Amino acid sequence: MGANIYKNKKPVFFFLLPAFLFMIVYLYYPFVKNIWNSFRQIKQLGSAGSGFLHPWYENYAKMLTDANIRTSLVNTLIMMAATLVFQVGFAILLALLVDNISRGKQFFKTVFFFPIVISATALGLLFNLIFLYDKGMLNQILELLGKTELTDWKAEGIAIFTMMLPVIWQYVGFYFVILITGLNNISDELYEAATIDGATRFQKVRYISLPLLHNVICTCAVLAVTGALKVFDLPWTMFPKGMPLKSTFLTGTYMYYQTMESKNVDYGSAIAVLIVVLGVVLSKVVNKIFKEKDY
Amino acid sequence: MKKGIALLLASAMTFALIGCGGAQAVQEPATEAAVEETVAETAEAPAAEEAPVASAEGVELNVTTTFAGEDGNAQNFKDAVNAWCEQTGNTVADTSATSDETFKTRVVTDFETGSEPDVLFFFNGADANSFIEAGKVVSIDDIRAEYPDYASNMNDELIADSLVDGKKYAVPVNGYWEAMFVNTEVLDAAGVAVPGANYSMDDFKADCQKIVDAGYTPIAAALGNIPHYWWEYAIFNNESPANHLEIPASADDEIGQAWVAGMNDIKELYELGYFPENTLSATDDETFAMFTEGKAAFLIDGSWKVGGIVAACQSDPEDPATLDTDKLSHFDVTYVPGQGSRKATDLIGGLSMGYYITTKAWEDPAKREAAVSFVSYMTSDEIVPKFAQHTASALKNAPAVDEAAFNPLQIKAMSMMSGVTSLTGAVQDLFMGDCRVPTFDGMPEIVTGKVDAKDAVQEGIDAYLAQ
Repeated sequence: MGANIYKNKKPVFFFLLPAFLFMIVYLYYPFVKNIWNSFRQIKQLGSAGSGFLHPWYENYAKMLTDANIRTSLVNTLIMMAATLVFQVGFAILLALLVDNISRGKQFFKTVFFFPIVISATALGLLFNLIFLYDKGMLNQILELLGKTELTDWKAEGIAIFTMMLPVIWQYVGFYFVILITGLNNISDELYEAATIDGATRFQKVRYISLPLLHNVICTCAVLAVTGALKVFDLPWTMFPKGMPLKSTFLTGTYMYYQTMESKNVDYGSAIAVLIVVLGVVLSKVVNKIFKEKDY
Repeated sequence: MKKGIALLLASAMTFALIGCGGAQAVQEPATEAAVEETVAETAEAPAAEEAPVASAEGVELNVTTTFAGEDGNAQNFKDAVNAWCEQTGNTVADTSATSDETFKTRVVTDFETGSEPDVLFFFNGADANSFIEAGKVVSIDDIRAEYPDYASNMNDELIADSLVDGKKYAVPVNGYWEAMFVNTEVLDAAGVAVPGANYSMDDFKADCQKIVDAGYTPIAAALGNIPHYWWEYAIFNNESPANHLEIPASADDEIGQAWVAGMNDIKELYELGYFPENTLSATDDETFAMFTEGKAAFLIDGSWKVGGIVAACQSDPEDPATLDTDKLSHFDVTYVPGQGSRKATDLIGGLSMGYYITTKAWEDPAKREAAVSFVSYMTSDEIVPKFAQHTASALKNAPAVDEAAFNPLQIKAMSMMSGVTSLTGAVQDLFMGDCRVPTFDGMPEIVTGKVDAKDAVQEGIDAYLAQ
């Protein structure tokens, strides 16, 4: 009897059922419903709509000619690249530096991780003040340095970079913590052996730390790329409605804009489908590129 | 319609004139005493009148209004709710929020999903169409069938008819007007006089140039964020009060051409450099700060902005005792420059919002009585003047008010209102949803020439016709 309870799998399904039902109700049903909605004409959130579009794929055809979709996709790809290079890049750099100091490790870990715990909306408001045109912190500093004209940090052309800076800054700490944990898992014996062999600090990083961090970096890369697809709150707080001239839309902010501001719920649903497809495809691509190694 | 507007205007002017009639009150001791009593009553927390309809005790009402955030009546609403709760023993779950597109979406979605409030203070134009069509609010006539005194203190002519079925649903409280605020400190520095009743667009452009030459920004407006007021008046300036509420069938018809001309007028002002340098990337808060900090001269906005300007003149925006009266004296409110058939004194305004009782509350025997009591209290002769202040109301008998109860900018607003020749509703309240997107959110593209004004107007009309 005692051994049989491990062979009987029925209780396992029983305990899995609540989570499964939860996922069905709150994830898969809305997802399927969202696909359905993208073919219907819906002007109000929550309403069933007034029938199917003519043609039923109108929203998807519209995406091909919608200049804002192009802008959103390009900006999202730029955001992904910036996330990969700067967020993960800076995180690696900081992790390696902190790993090489003997005192104050915990202090730096806390300092670098801190932005993560601040609400993105609060950060958006904070950076709004930093980049404010009149009396903004940055313009005041430049004024002290002798600049006579104010810079509009949210003007077309530089707005996208103004938007990316706080997003990148906020999440560096997240990857930093993952990477520093990865570094802690590398055996000290390897470094000691390398030291005996006469390896410099740079050589230890180049030939021990980075190769053994490979899998952790791959995980960070996948998280960074998929995370960039979902960025919403901070950009929307700083650049509502894709301001200026709809040049700062990301896929997430454009979907929200169409649904909540333009009352074009069906088109918002179609953009949501696009985001999911993009997320799945890009995750596959990134997984292929940053393939984990077996050691 | 004309009769309604005439009545509204008469009501607004009567209210304003009464407000400006302090000198007369001083000459008549009996009247003065009555006025002082009224003011004393209004200065206290609104507990003056007993709830007109007895209600069942212990009912919790879900109430949603726009009296929240920076709304000038947010505190009045809290006080009135507390007084009503104390009086009736009921409680209110207040889910009020600042009025914007997200709020409107939230309210409409709540109705769609069956989670609407019991009492709602909301717009009476096209925004309300969906829940009126669905029969989710109760008409005033239906309520009066059971409660004959419901809103009996209101002038029915001034209560807006629904665009869906022509019935009246929302009991109004305070009206609104849209006019031009001026920073006189900037005008003085530029050698420009405060605009008067005969102010034209040509005068305005000449003044703007003087202001630019003096090193200031003429117009405080964020075209990339809130172009609404300029949109409305630019179109109005190419129409007249008689046809402003007509929606074009095409960008080529008479009204459509007026709309296109309006968009091009804004483009011209942008090209002349009269808007802030960052008007396309700034938020409304930023350009408003430019105005209050003496960097911009003109601000077209609504009557609710009086409270915002006064708050900007207080060291503690929450505490009226910290008001810097000298700073406030640098602000005035006047007419919007006129053009063609529209005189400067023809303003946008009216009674665009009111209290609805939802069908859900009406069909709940306990809540029905409480909801009627709540709305009756909030729209009583004692409470409405507190909310209406310098704007219009629909009261049959607007009580006398004393200038002493108002701050200097409110008094200037009353004076301005006394010279208004017509109040016309905002056509944007009839032109809702995605049809506004090409010319509202698309304003930066229009003024920078990336999109032709005619194409943008036509795109909006197409969306409107498809609704």
